[in-house]
Amino acid sequence: MCKIHPIAVVRWLFVLSVTLALGTPPAPAQSVRVVTLDSPAPLVVVKVMVRAGSAHDSAGLEGLAYLTARMLIEGSFGDPKNPVTKERLAEITRPWGQGATPTVQVGKETTTFSMTVPREVLPRYIAQIFRPMFTQPLFDARELDRLRAETLTTLRSNLRLEQIELVGLVTLDNVLHAGTGYAHPVATERGAEAISREALLQFYATYYRPEHLVLGVSTREEALVASLRDALAGAGASTAPPLERRPVEPPPAVQGREVVIVALPNAISTGLHAGFPLSINRSHPDYWPLYVANVWFGTHRDSFSYLYDQIRALRGYNYGDYSYIEHFENRPFALFPPTGYPRRYQYFSIWIRPVQHDYAVHLLKALTWELEHFVRTGLSEEQCALAKNKARVLYLSLAETTERLLGYRLEDEFYGLHPGYLESYLDRIDAVSCAQVNAAIKKHLQAANLKYVVVTDDEVAPRIADAIAANQPAWGKEPVEYQIEVREENGQKLYLVPETKRALLERDAVWAHYWLDIPRNRIRIVPAERLFVTAALP
Amino acid sequence: MKAPRQPVARIRGWKYSTRKAPAVGRGTAPSRKKPGPAGRGSARTALVALVLGVALAVVGTPALLAQAKSAAPQKVFPYPIHKRTLANGLDVIVIETPEFKNVLSFNTLVLAGARNETEPGKSGLAHLFEHILFRHRWKGQENGYEEAISRLGAHNNAWTWFDVTFYHPLTFTANLEGRSADLPGLLALEADRFSRLDFTEKIFRTEAGAVLGEYRRNASFPSLKLEERLMALLFPHHPYGHTTLGYYEDVLDMPNEYAAAVAFYETYYRPNNCVLVIAGDVRAEEVFAKVEPYYRDWQPKPVPPILATGAPPQREQREHVTWDADVAPLVWVAYRMPAYKTGSVETAVGQLLPELLISPAAPLYRKLRFEKQTASALDFEEGTQGYESFDPRVLILSAQLYKEKYAERGQAYFDEVVADILAGVEELKQFSRRKDARALLETLKSKYRYDFLAAMSSPANIAQTFAWYYRFERDPEVFEKLLASVERLTPRDIDQFARRQFVPEHRAVLTLAHDASARP
Repeated sequence: MCKIHPIAVVRWLFVLSVTLALGTPPAPAQSVRVVTLDSPAPLVVVKVMVRAGSAHDSAGLEGLAYLTARMLIEGSFGDPKNPVTKERLAEITRPWGQGATPTVQVGKETTTFSMTVPREVLPRYIAQIFRPMFTQPLFDARELDRLRAETLTTLRSNLRLEQIELVGLVTLDNVLHAGTGYAHPVATERGAEAISREALLQFYATYYRPEHLVLGVSTREEALVASLRDALAGAGASTAPPLERRPVEPPPAVQGREVVIVALPNAISTGLHAGFPLSINRSHPDYWPLYVANVWFGTHRDSFSYLYDQIRALRGYNYGDYSYIEHFENRPFALFPPTGYPRRYQYFSIWIRPVQHDYAVHLLKALTWELEHFVRTGLSEEQCALAKNKARVLYLSLAETTERLLGYRLEDEFYGLHPGYLESYLDRIDAVSCAQVNAAIKKHLQAANLKYVVVTDDEVAPRIADAIAANQPAWGKEPVEYQIEVREENGQKLYLVPETKRALLERDAVWAHYWLDIPRNRIRIVPAERLFVTAALP
Repeated sequence: MKAPRQPVARIRGWKYSTRKAPAVGRGTAPSRKKPGPAGRGSARTALVALVLGVALAVVGTPALLAQAKSAAPQKVFPYPIHKRTLANGLDVIVIETPEFKNVLSFNTLVLAGARNETEPGKSGLAHLFEHILFRHRWKGQENGYEEAISRLGAHNNAWTWFDVTFYHPLTFTANLEGRSADLPGLLALEADRFSRLDFTEKIFRTEAGAVLGEYRRNASFPSLKLEERLMALLFPHHPYGHTTLGYYEDVLDMPNEYAAAVAFYETYYRPNNCVLVIAGDVRAEEVFAKVEPYYRDWQPKPVPPILATGAPPQREQREHVTWDADVAPLVWVAYRMPAYKTGSVETAVGQLLPELLISPAAPLYRKLRFEKQTASALDFEEGTQGYESFDPRVLILSAQLYKEKYAERGQAYFDEVVADILAGVEELKQFSRRKDARALLETLKSKYRYDFLAAMSSPANIAQTFAWYYRFERDPEVFEKLLASVERLTPRDIDQFARRQFVPEHRAVLTLAHDASARP
């Protein structure tokens, strides 16, 4: 039952010596760093964050971080004569509940292992599983072949052809970071094919050493914490020659507007995405005003926000419309951002969930105009207050479980946040003024330099490309679809527009006549089958 | 009104151990983790992991280990539970979980659901009332309650099922009390709507229309039709015979039932028939002191008992249901079950039935899903919640079949699946003769205990699970007693339970298929 869907697990590396945008560089540590959470719960959440992710994959070996992590769990570990195979691992952990089976998330700059273990078996768990998994991985070649095959299947069929929403989100992430270590998902076809057991050993030897690990534990019992920390002391020990650490580069600047259209063989609707790199992450003081602004503009999966209200609630185009100031993993399925995917370089993005093909160009104009309008007008005091109140309520979900609390604590280590994100969340929100919100919008958001990704049917793709380039009016729904009565009088159509719907129709006209100004040579059509072959866009 | 939340059960194939959400409710919010223990989170976890691209270690064949015998700690549930009963009979439970900083999960459990709709023609009122509570005219203002909640800032939702109705706003601890007369706190708002509900006939009629919309939406699920038929067959003389949504004709007539609705509220929304469960970053003594003044004027009234008007049928019931859309065929095999009783052997065995029958390690599951591949999903239609009931209710094994195979083989296909399910259930009667019976049972107990704990992952989850079990005997020690009863089980308890319960006279077998594809 535990088939993996490795889609969209993308990450990058964290180099200790790199200075964050506004944070202070963390001091290089010589041993495992530890963060704890004081929970009396009888199940202890244990996480280990490795400060390396897919952005550290050697060029041409995309998938190295991902396969190394999977192989640590599933590729057998411990005594080679009596190894803990994946089957034995399942047998050992079964009586301890579902959570005792380790899981791993591979991000751009981090790899995070998680397990939930009954307090009273933790010493045995450390001896039988935790320590040998991190310090004596065997990297069984047969398991590598199996995982490689699964990864390829996921890239080739699931991600490219079955996940219309996810393929757009991943592609936008990739194109925004073209040429850097962020530009590929957890693996590429060529990369996964080329990865050898030797390469895994090298990656392990380079990045799994204690100084690159952060241990998170949901208890402050000193003996338990110490034995977990000590169990990691031998991590990364290997005779394999270490790799040269791959530096994490900032994304290239976006100049003007350009479009990538992903063409699928059988898409029944069209998904729209747009974005640009942000120069800040959550360690920057402007983060919080920008966060409040975004809560108002596009909170994920929430009817509160403006984009959702305009496109879904008022006009009924699709299931939802959102914006983001941070990467949000697994957007099609998650209600709240999963932890475990921190990134030094963040991006702003807008996501219009799939709409009828015919409305795609109208809504591309709409999202661009609305972003431009948002930057131009900012928020009123009343809107700011509403957004702050909404932001406060979101905290309850972000901080819901111990697992999430600990996940954020690890991310705090990554970003160098003290006090931590959730610890200071409510105070930070309260402290934001509307003037700061509007200043942050003006400073960090814009609509002139955007990369768009459109995911659509391969027969529709050229039409959309031409329609974008044409700079002609592009309309969406007809007035009748808003239940507006139409009469024929003297051969002319007469729309009986109630006062309540006037603004909506006027805005439709504004959208229709907005010029995207994107020449045809800045619009590329890419067949979905050619995505994720290498780190570069075909 | 908003659509009912759909159980995660719709994600067939992943649900085996997920408790099903109550059938109807107000929320569009995703189903919360379900109340109750034992791997109930695990299918969900697996699914989340799957879509996240999170790597799970591959689960191998189950085998039993000596580790299963790890000593259980004295007390399993880690948080202090405090109880105070007000003079009017309102039970106030406070569960202190200070590690969840600033979080307040404020829940009101009403011990009335579809089971309390005893008058013919008046089914569905409990659920309708759940809607009405959100339309409370705080300070005499239309929509006053909803607007005040919105200013305060809270997630607010509720659900209704056969025995109970559960209201579960989530907010900050600081919002327990108001900041000013214009900004009432949650305590004032909740106390007011439960003890002094203000609604008009106009509101009532509007909400009745919304409920009809909800019925129509749910009517597209074949399982609603099957459930209606099954319950009518098994419980002809008990209100469990109708679903929480109510009969269609009753729902149609609902706008005219204002008087009956007022009577329902007057009868069941009484302090002695409700439980407050407050969990989160709170101190029990402070909460008790604050709650009392808000709730003390709520007048108690004896609640009438619910009695069956006749005995249930004493022979097997079979029925085939046709469906107008081309859906996957369904087979339901249902057994009447004893009422829930904390500490009883029957209830303890019931806790392990999902692992014994529909987990990927269960022989029945493996036969249908992996070996013969005759079913694309095998679940308990209502999780274990269907038989955690005040009065004896039902366990429903639900298999989703393949359309193509049914088109080829027709009734013979149904017969084979039904026979396999009956045989799988029958095997439990010999459970103690398995060579590994003792060890297997120990593993199941261990898994149950830890998955129970894992489900206690937030104040809201803790409060909901607690309320679900507390209601039976009003015993704050209910978690410990339930877990202890599972620990005491022996392999022979499984045999004996199965021999008593899984007999033809307790059974109903229902099948459903698309009309056009039916074969004689």
